[in-house]
Amino acid sequence: MAFLFGRARARTNTSDLPKQAREHVARLEGPPGTAKPEELARILSQMKQVLQGTHEADASPEQLLQLVTGIIEEDLLYLLAVNLHRLPFESRKDTQVIFSYVFRFRPPTASTKSEPLALAYVVEKRPQVLVELCRGYDHKESATPAGTVLREILKNEAAAAIILYDDGDEQGSSARGVAAINRDRPQSGNGVFWMFFNWIDKSSFEVAADAFTTFRELLTKHKDLVPKYLSVNFELFFEKYNNILVQSNSYVTKRQSIKLLGEILLDRSNYNVMTAYVDRGEHLKICMNLLRDDRKMVQYEGFHVFKVFVANPHKSVPVQKILLMNREKLLHFLSHFLEDRTDDEQFIDEREFLIKQIRNMPSTPVPPQR
Amino acid sequence: MADEGVASHYQVLEELGRGSFGVVYKAIEKRTGETVAIKHIDLESSEDDIQEIQQEISVLSTCASSYVTQYKASFLRGHKLWIVMEYLGGGHLKPGSFSEGHIAIICRELLFGLEYLHAEGKIHRDIKAANVLLSENGKVKLADFGVAAQLTHMKSQRNTFVGTPFWMAPEVIQQAGYDFKADIWSLGITAIELALGEPPHANTHPMKVLFQIPKNPPPRLEGKFSKEFKDFVFQCLVKDPDHRPTAKELLKHRFIRSAGKVEALQELVHRKQMSDARTDRVKLPVFYQETLHTISPKDNSDDWVFDTVKSVALPKRGTVRSRKPSSAFAVEDAMRKLDVKDGPLQPSTPGTVRRSTVRRQPSAAQQSSVRRISNGSPRASIAPKCPLQPDLSFGNSGSTMRLFRRVPSDSSASAGSHEAQPNENRPPTSFHAPVDPNSKEALLGRRLYNRALEPCLDELHAQTAASSKREALSRLSDAFALLDSVDPEGSYHFLRNLVSVVSQDPKLDVAFLRNNPQNSGPSKTPLDGTPQGTVVIKGRSATAAAAAASGGPVSPTKFVMSQENPHLLSHRRRHGSQTPDLPPPGQGRVERAMPRSPEKEQRDREKMALEAKLPGRQAVPGMEHCKALSDLLYTRWTDGLRARWGSMAA
Repeated sequence: MAFLFGRARARTNTSDLPKQAREHVARLEGPPGTAKPEELARILSQMKQVLQGTHEADASPEQLLQLVTGIIEEDLLYLLAVNLHRLPFESRKDTQVIFSYVFRFRPPTASTKSEPLALAYVVEKRPQVLVELCRGYDHKESATPAGTVLREILKNEAAAAIILYDDGDEQGSSARGVAAINRDRPQSGNGVFWMFFNWIDKSSFEVAADAFTTFRELLTKHKDLVPKYLSVNFELFFEKYNNILVQSNSYVTKRQSIKLLGEILLDRSNYNVMTAYVDRGEHLKICMNLLRDDRKMVQYEGFHVFKVFVANPHKSVPVQKILLMNREKLLHFLSHFLEDRTDDEQFIDEREFLIKQIRNMPSTPVPPQR
Repeated sequence: MADEGVASHYQVLEELGRGSFGVVYKAIEKRTGETVAIKHIDLESSEDDIQEIQQEISVLSTCASSYVTQYKASFLRGHKLWIVMEYLGGGHLKPGSFSEGHIAIICRELLFGLEYLHAEGKIHRDIKAANVLLSENGKVKLADFGVAAQLTHMKSQRNTFVGTPFWMAPEVIQQAGYDFKADIWSLGITAIELALGEPPHANTHPMKVLFQIPKNPPPRLEGKFSKEFKDFVFQCLVKDPDHRPTAKELLKHRFIRSAGKVEALQELVHRKQMSDARTDRVKLPVFYQETLHTISPKDNSDDWVFDTVKSVALPKRGTVRSRKPSSAFAVEDAMRKLDVKDGPLQPSTPGTVRRSTVRRQPSAAQQSSVRRISNGSPRASIAPKCPLQPDLSFGNSGSTMRLFRRVPSDSSASAGSHEAQPNENRPPTSFHAPVDPNSKEALLGRRLYNRALEPCLDELHAQTAASSKREALSRLSDAFALLDSVDPEGSYHFLRNLVSVVSQDPKLDVAFLRNNPQNSGPSKTPLDGTPQGTVVIKGRSATAAAAAASGGPVSPTKFVMSQENPHLLSHRRRHGSQTPDLPPPGQGRVERAMPRSPEKEQRDREKMALEAKLPGRQAVPGMEHCKALSDLLYTRWTDGLRARWGSMAA
């Protein structure tokens, strides 16, 4: 690798790399025939090697700083994100590595607590980079590299906020940077976050699975950001979640989203979301139908949402009504529910607990007191 | 995920291999005419987090190297995941059959593969002969990325405890952070495996090996091998990963540089093909059968009642399932048992037992939430139970986990077959009604084979480590498979014969048949049997003893390994990878396949195994009066048998 590295450097100076890459990427969008994918591939590969270093030698911090600033100045992150699906196989992987190193890079003088240079820049000045990375899910080619980069960046709360609050030109959208976000304004549903529902439901397995993993990260990592977001956008979010994901025709999407729903509801930080969710009779109906799905694992995941309704000490009147109306059926059903799970003690305990709860309910709905 | 239609792009042909993770089929991509291998994973029966299967796909799909099995596509079909891979006609490496020249070539090719993976930031973490496939023209390819890791940064490390004990590097076992070098250690072990037929410590219990590897000095290659080869192994097995060479460095080793061309390996593939062709076994490939879902009318009466408003009915998939042969090659369900291929004891995978891949240990860095801890992992017990948390520990059961899933893959209720066995083995009440003795016996014979003999042999095989013993066992199994296919009645009579002969010898009688119908009450029947564990161990190596001992309380009716036992896990992935079958040599006739000398021992074992599987046989109350009748039938049969099979009945 050192030998490749040496030869490449002989041809292009590190400081020229971003500029050259920009020119080549721009040509990808132009008329066919003008692009030189091999040249671009070479430049990207060289850039990757400078950033990640080789087993033998690492690039100097100054060199790295120069490269990262160059990449920012040329707006290369945005261009690469937009054109990711147009790049050749190896270049997509190289680009993924470039992104992940650039977004981690801190100037040698900066403290290790500060935000990495490029990440801070993108979050404040160029949020479109993140939006375009999400749009990588539009194409099978770019889904995996874009998703890998996204999941790394999303560990940063500001970056997650950019994606959640992207809402085009609306007031308070993240399009003008993280500082412009208005967290109290309900989303229109046109922002990039809401596209995840379709990516997860409609794409091919590989894309959908990757999109779901990112979606899950987005909703489970940040314990301040997400509960607030879900409270403000409760209706829109669960309307889409229940109708698109939980009812998905794809077995994997369905099973995983029921599981994630359970995780979201049982997360302590989402307490308010959970209580609002389990108050709705509509939600209970969806859930009870899941128990009757003919696929065992769907039933099983559904059970873990259902138990939240039943275990809730302050059941709403509509929820009580539904449970009471079906009391005998439920008791009978639950006593035979997933019987072959004989060695899952926790499940058996919980099932017994639910049976007891349902049996002991007063025969007429009692308004909850809290 | 709208890709249900993609499946129609492939014409699925015969089965290549199967395991608890699913079945691998040979198939043809209709558009290109290219032969591919398709792994069908039944997600409904896999309790594993689907995410972990995705991880494997994402590692594979970012590989493009001629040293790595090429991933092509994956898509969902109902609750099955289809993973389309390059078809490799040479099958798995079969350790022990290689000359030093061959090993050098294989090692070089593996090093190329590792060099590629490591440069890509990937660690395979489960390098061993069983995870290496050969193409028809002798190319060597890395396969099975079930536990592979993708590092995001070149210098990051992993702590996750995964791999297969015998092949695991000390630093992986100690969980002190490891990197690419772990694969190099495993390569060194694999080289020994290829040369000697099994990895070092193969006769030790895998859990014990986990202590020995970090403690002991590294294994050395001993015996009649060249200095270069020995040095190569020595270099790979440096305990300190910092002083262990990289794949790139090892490619410069003399042993590797002097290796021959890949074409030399074609010889191995051809040899295998020859032996395939020579065996005159009944060749009846199992063809893919599609499961159809027919929409059944919804049973409204049983629905939940949601107020006066009718609930939004979920579009339900019908529960009625009908099977339709995918082609003219419809094979009767029972007939599929005819195929030796279906028999799990193929010598092609002799290391099987010991291949316990302890996998799916969530890496601590990966997620902070509670995740499922893998079954059988040594740390399985630490998963905290939190009431009203989504249970992420499901699937720890394992009582249904079989080494080999015998159930056709389209039944999602495939679990539980094991538990049902003791009952199912109870002879039907009409057992002795001499309505139509011939067909009845044939039926029973077949049942005997399917329900008792074969599973018993599976388990025995799985618990046996030494490859020579395994070989013997698999021959026995093949012989039974043949007998079953040719003359199921024969296996029935064989057992009856055996039972009665044993009962005539006082010592054997005590050892095996203490609950004779004459002297045992039905009440104590199931518990009063011979302790199976010890019987199994009798006359066998200490390995088995260790395995048995560690297996926890041995139930009297089933000899099942403890679920903690990593052996079981080994099979989860193993048999999902393509395993073109390697039939054992020389099994044309039963007599030949069963060597005379160990026959006694084998009989004893079968005896024992059968008793284990047929607990009610001797002592079902009310059946005693039938004994005379069956003895009579038996005598009549033995006369016939003597004529046909002189040597057996002698």
